[in-house]
Amino acid sequence: MRSILRKGRGELSVVPRYLIRLPLFLIAVLLVFSLPSHAQQTTVTGTVTDPDGETIPGVNILESGTDNGTVTDLDGVYSLTTASPEAILVFSFVGFESQEIPLEGRTTLDVILGEDTQSLDEVVVVGYGIQRKSDVTGSISAIKSEEISRLPTPNVTQSLQGRVSGVQVTSGSGAPGSGTTIRIRGVGTLNNANPLFVVDGMLLDDIDFINPNDVESIEVLKDASATAIYGSRGANGVIIVTTKQGTFDKEMTINVDAYTGVQNVANRIDLVNARQFAQLANELNQNVGIEPDYDVNEFGEGTDWQDLIFHSAPISNVNIGAQGGSANTNYNFSVNYFNQAGVVKESEFERLTVRLNNQYQASDAVNFGHNLSFIYFKRQDEPSGIVGTAYRTYPTFDPRNEDGSYIDTSPVGNPAAQLEYNINNDHNSYRAVGNFFGEVNFLENFTFRSNLGFDYAFLDNKSFTPEYYVSPTQQNVNNSINVSNNRTQNWLWENTVNYEQEWDRHRLTLLGGYTSQNFYYEELSGERLSLPGEDPALWYLNAGEETSQTNNNLARDWSMTSILFRVNYTFNEKYLLTATYRRDGSSRFGSERRYGDFPSIALGWRLIEEGFMQDQNTVSNLKIRGSYGVIGNDKIDEYEGIPIVTGNENAVFGANESLIYGATITELANPFIQWEETVTSNIGFEFGLLEERLTGELDYYYRRTNDILVEVPIPAYVGSANNPVINAASVENTGLDLSLNWRDQKGNFGYNVGIVGSTVNNKVLDLGRGEEAIIGGAVGISNLFGSRTIVGESIGHYYGYKTLGVFQNQSQIDNSPTRGPEEPGDLIFQDTDGNGTVNSNDRVILGSPIPDYIFGFNVGFNFRGIDLRADFNGTYGNEIYNAKRQVRFNTYNFETVFLDRWTGEGTSDSEPRVTNGGHNYEVSDRFIEDGSYLRLRNIQLGYSFSNLAINNFEFSNLRLCLSGTNVFTLTDYSGYTPEIGGGNLLGTGYDNSVYPIARTFNIGVTANF
Amino acid sequence: MKTLIKNSFWALIFSTSVGMLMLSCAEDYLEKSPKAVLTQDSFFQTAEHAEQAVNAIYSHLRSFNVHVFSYIGVTDIASDDAEKGSVPGDAAFLEDINNFTHDANNTASAGIWGGYYQGVFRANQVIENVPNIDMDASLRDRLLGEARFLRAYFYFFLVRTYGDVPIIERPLNPEEYQQTRNPTEEVYNFIIADLEFAMDNLPSKSEYDAEDLGRATSGAAQGFLAKVNLFQDDYQGAYDNAVAVINSNEYALYPDYLGIFRQEGEHSSESLFEVSAVALEQGGGGHQFNQVQGIRGDPNNGWGFNSPSDDLEAAYEEGDPRKDATIIYNGETLPSGEVVEADPNMGADAKFNRKAHLPQMPSIGFQNSGANIRILRYADILLIAAEAANELGNPDVALDYLNLVRERARQGNPEILPNVTVTNQNELRTAIWHERRVELAMEQQRYFDLVRQGRAQEVFSELGITWVPGKHEVFPLPQSEIDISGGTLEQNPGYN
Repeated sequence: MRSILRKGRGELSVVPRYLIRLPLFLIAVLLVFSLPSHAQQTTVTGTVTDPDGETIPGVNILESGTDNGTVTDLDGVYSLTTASPEAILVFSFVGFESQEIPLEGRTTLDVILGEDTQSLDEVVVVGYGIQRKSDVTGSISAIKSEEISRLPTPNVTQSLQGRVSGVQVTSGSGAPGSGTTIRIRGVGTLNNANPLFVVDGMLLDDIDFINPNDVESIEVLKDASATAIYGSRGANGVIIVTTKQGTFDKEMTINVDAYTGVQNVANRIDLVNARQFAQLANELNQNVGIEPDYDVNEFGEGTDWQDLIFHSAPISNVNIGAQGGSANTNYNFSVNYFNQAGVVKESEFERLTVRLNNQYQASDAVNFGHNLSFIYFKRQDEPSGIVGTAYRTYPTFDPRNEDGSYIDTSPVGNPAAQLEYNINNDHNSYRAVGNFFGEVNFLENFTFRSNLGFDYAFLDNKSFTPEYYVSPTQQNVNNSINVSNNRTQNWLWENTVNYEQEWDRHRLTLLGGYTSQNFYYEELSGERLSLPGEDPALWYLNAGEETSQTNNNLARDWSMTSILFRVNYTFNEKYLLTATYRRDGSSRFGSERRYGDFPSIALGWRLIEEGFMQDQNTVSNLKIRGSYGVIGNDKIDEYEGIPIVTGNENAVFGANESLIYGATITELANPFIQWEETVTSNIGFEFGLLEERLTGELDYYYRRTNDILVEVPIPAYVGSANNPVINAASVENTGLDLSLNWRDQKGNFGYNVGIVGSTVNNKVLDLGRGEEAIIGGAVGISNLFGSRTIVGESIGHYYGYKTLGVFQNQSQIDNSPTRGPEEPGDLIFQDTDGNGTVNSNDRVILGSPIPDYIFGFNVGFNFRGIDLRADFNGTYGNEIYNAKRQVRFNTYNFETVFLDRWTGEGTSDSEPRVTNGGHNYEVSDRFIEDGSYLRLRNIQLGYSFSNLAINNFEFSNLRLCLSGTNVFTLTDYSGYTPEIGGGNLLGTGYDNSVYPIARTFNIGVTANF
Repeated sequence: MKTLIKNSFWALIFSTSVGMLMLSCAEDYLEKSPKAVLTQDSFFQTAEHAEQAVNAIYSHLRSFNVHVFSYIGVTDIASDDAEKGSVPGDAAFLEDINNFTHDANNTASAGIWGGYYQGVFRANQVIENVPNIDMDASLRDRLLGEARFLRAYFYFFLVRTYGDVPIIERPLNPEEYQQTRNPTEEVYNFIIADLEFAMDNLPSKSEYDAEDLGRATSGAAQGFLAKVNLFQDDYQGAYDNAVAVINSNEYALYPDYLGIFRQEGEHSSESLFEVSAVALEQGGGGHQFNQVQGIRGDPNNGWGFNSPSDDLEAAYEEGDPRKDATIIYNGETLPSGEVVEADPNMGADAKFNRKAHLPQMPSIGFQNSGANIRILRYADILLIAAEAANELGNPDVALDYLNLVRERARQGNPEILPNVTVTNQNELRTAIWHERRVELAMEQQRYFDLVRQGRAQEVFSELGITWVPGKHEVFPLPQSEIDISGGTLEQNPGYN
């Protein structure tokens, strides 16, 4: 591997490679020297009861700092031999508070366990605050830090995959440093359906920069009660990230997390070998009436170009964190370094993240602090489109001639040459994201908080293409340098006042606030040709020819200002009310629609507190909640409401015919443009059974989005060259979100099982243009489009011909409806309207990229320090458009399915004769495959040592683990991966040779000091 | 409890007042405008903006839907002067027009509608906004004159193509998008008002600086006025305006008939109005008017549409040099020495429009023609004067103007094209109409003339084409326009 650490512009790497491995090495060395120490043993016995004196069977008792433990019997009695009479025993049982009791020489110890009220006091992060989980009326799912840092990925959003109900996470690419597509509860727009991200109160469009080890929790807000406080930005759902904080009055703890592993492409696409290719290519020639090109006998296996572009690639990560605090200062400090090479050669990513979170208690009434993160990353991308090139290049070619030069592999470019010539691209990002805050408590119940969030990002890209020649279609005549810089400045100032009061059976929280945000983006780029050499020292614009220069500079900005209110009221711990209101003003909205109002209301009823629930032990929690609210999607172009002047509308005047500059407004804008508005209703149940061993939530939602932006034709006599975008379309999403968790402990053996599942039913109600469809998903040949959006169906479903087999002979063609002219061996398309001929009116719906079900489940066990955990996830009922198979501008390599082609009567009724383009390459179900899958997302086996002392060096915890990610995928899809994301919502789910998602095996260590 | 209420009250007052205060001063804060471009708000502030906006109207005259493909369709191909041309099946919608089998989904009729109304939109922006600019008054009046001249030009084409059309006199607000068609009479009145304004406010051709050559002139406005009058059968108006143009001494017949259409004839003494173009290496000043009509085959100059008809060929008098100046025959030798070999699919007797022929390939290619598109020339004015004089009962005056045109056509050869001497009004009318046809052949005049002259049915029936009176005088409005209007626009008769 050519590492970006070693090459490039002579820069030093951020972290030397040996340093990454150092912590691993140290820990390994320390382990070798670790020896358990023995002392005097003692046996202790006793009975465990609840506060009412009832004995409790099954209570877990553990000698603290060891894996020595037992459980109480049916009478609540236990007996345990401890290492020393001074041992500390830990008593724990589901639904009760744990107790740690020092033996202090006793041999009899009876214990009363108090009922656990902690679970009631568990808190959840909500917009602009935290709430007791029991008081929550909205649909919010949370995942905690240990789930987030489990996967070997730099992107925290991947940890949501299969973990949170109602959330679909798709990695559109396996390229190092690439992001994900997140859809919360379906697709409620035709435009941008990405959720809003909130990191420590800063509102952002992405969280790709976050170090997973820094995250304390991620909350996904799904219904209106939860998201309406974010007003015009809440409609696609909100994901709140809270980073780890220090603790006052706590000694410093240091933790080290490190892993290293190897990634591979789990499966290859089955392509034909050289001999088979020669035969198929000859047959193709024969089918179009030209001479064969190949002597089949000359060829053997040939080249599988996939072998050439894929490799095993290392991945590693080191995180060092320190946490603690004095009486009035606390801190959380971390440094993270991540390095990943891609499974496609020449793609690499490394990232350094530093975080410093501090909080200062200035007085009883005043505290302030900050959460600061600084991120540097460097990325190199693989040669553009190389996965597709390797798929298409003929296996009959070798990569190189005998003299070492690259072979002309026309009509497809030589992937080996691409790997040499098209790799000099560097993307460097420098980013600072964080917030400063201050809080003042006054008049007992009031808290004023002012929060200034910021995101400053600078991205610097450079690419150099050398002069080279492989073939007439794969060459670069002049070397070139392209440099671009862009920067983002985004700040948010929020001021809130919170009022909390509890009296009698009432609990009331009021929140009011004012916020404003400002965003600015600018890019500057330039290009020059003909540098005097290829030395990286020359990779600057000034080295190129001045006359060849081009440049580009543009910017965009937006601003928002909002007021917000929320009331939370709980009566008698039974009846819950949440009402929110936000008013957003945004520069993006047209001058006639500057402000939008977004209210919500929600009610909850905790049945578990009712009298009739008190005389039973089966149900430990039961809550019903319902919400209704209006939220918006503000992700529209910044200046959609402002007509702009088109320049270079030049006239020609004068005796010498000069071009005279002209400019005018040629296109209209819509001053009434506004947010897209979503109305959401949600009904949810939360329950806990068997003393919270089984917990679950079930939600039903109905989301209707109105005012979706769409181009609606206006009369041509208005004179505009465009159809302005207006708020006209409507879409609904309905579905169920379910999550279930079973958790139990039997002595030393603990286990848990979790299931999440969601259904999505997506339907377009109105497009503002009657029955006329919107077409999307260009497949790259002859203006063919595979996707359609039309009233009454789901967004962007696949639409084309249904195949009924293959024509076996001419008489069958003569007696069948045809498109004309078909030949024997061509696909039979269904004559849907039965009019005796096949034309575009016969196309039918062939599938949808939106899954019917999204699911995930996990199982975990732990026993005496050993833990095993497996996560599965998948989708069901979605289709994938295998576009790479359809695009054949020329003869390309064949998948092995072509070996089953029709070659004469009776040979095949599914795979047509070999052709390039034409009838068999119309949009049809030939290219649409089932995208359902079940994947073992991650499996991890760990072993923890407690209170381990090695040569006077004490670990409070040390865990080693082996982990496999994307271990296997069960799917019928023929491509590298069934996770196909990205693209426009009107044409999504197209596999145009996606970068494969890797299978990774790694070893890791976590140490706390 | 009391404290609670009190505290709640203060909390509410505090946050509400802070919020309201902040929001009230937020108006400016929420004003953001696109970067690196002018916007509606920042445009139309200076004299330069006014000039640029006017230039942009002229620029639109070179666009595809104004003076290129659909344009030759509804003018020449529709008429008896030309066949569709090109190869069978290519641009079938033009063949439909040639045969009068077109319907409301015809591409040409939709193209003209959109293209000319986009021109109106550009003109309207100037007419609406320039009066508010603080600038030199005489320049402002001239620019407004140019915009109104061009608006009149667009509407004159629209009214002849579609009959009743909506009069859009300023940029519309969204709530005004639903419009109805105004009667032809009102549209003509609107056109006349614009042309009269232009006539009063524009300089004459000689008054312009050399660098402004190509801008609309008072002469052009008056010339169009004469033509508009003629199309309304207002012979007195047509006569008065045409004669005023003639007597202005701004214009004269260009001696070499073919030369009018060559580089040398751009903005010649004969030109009242033409669309200036230039073929530059960087592009941006050209158009495709010549390309779509260029020789298809060898030399490969274009697409070969708008092919002169046999009927036109037969219409020329014996020896009329204008025939050869109008028609390129398959197999003939061009002045460059090249022999024309038409695409075999066009047939052995393929013909091309010589008036649109480019003797040399422009920079970049034929899609970047720098030839000016001739719109109104002096011979047309003379023939309008002649036709109007004859209708007004002045055959002698009519003959004078008519014979001026024939004299130039003769190119000094006394053996051909003798002076017309008939004074019988009907015979003279026929002679003038004949002269209009051959003088202005393939110059996008003929179809409108045939309709105006009320003899389209007669002419087409002789050619075996069914031309339906009460329907084919005008083209259909685009079907999409009818659909979008939701019932406020009515289709032309016979096209539903």
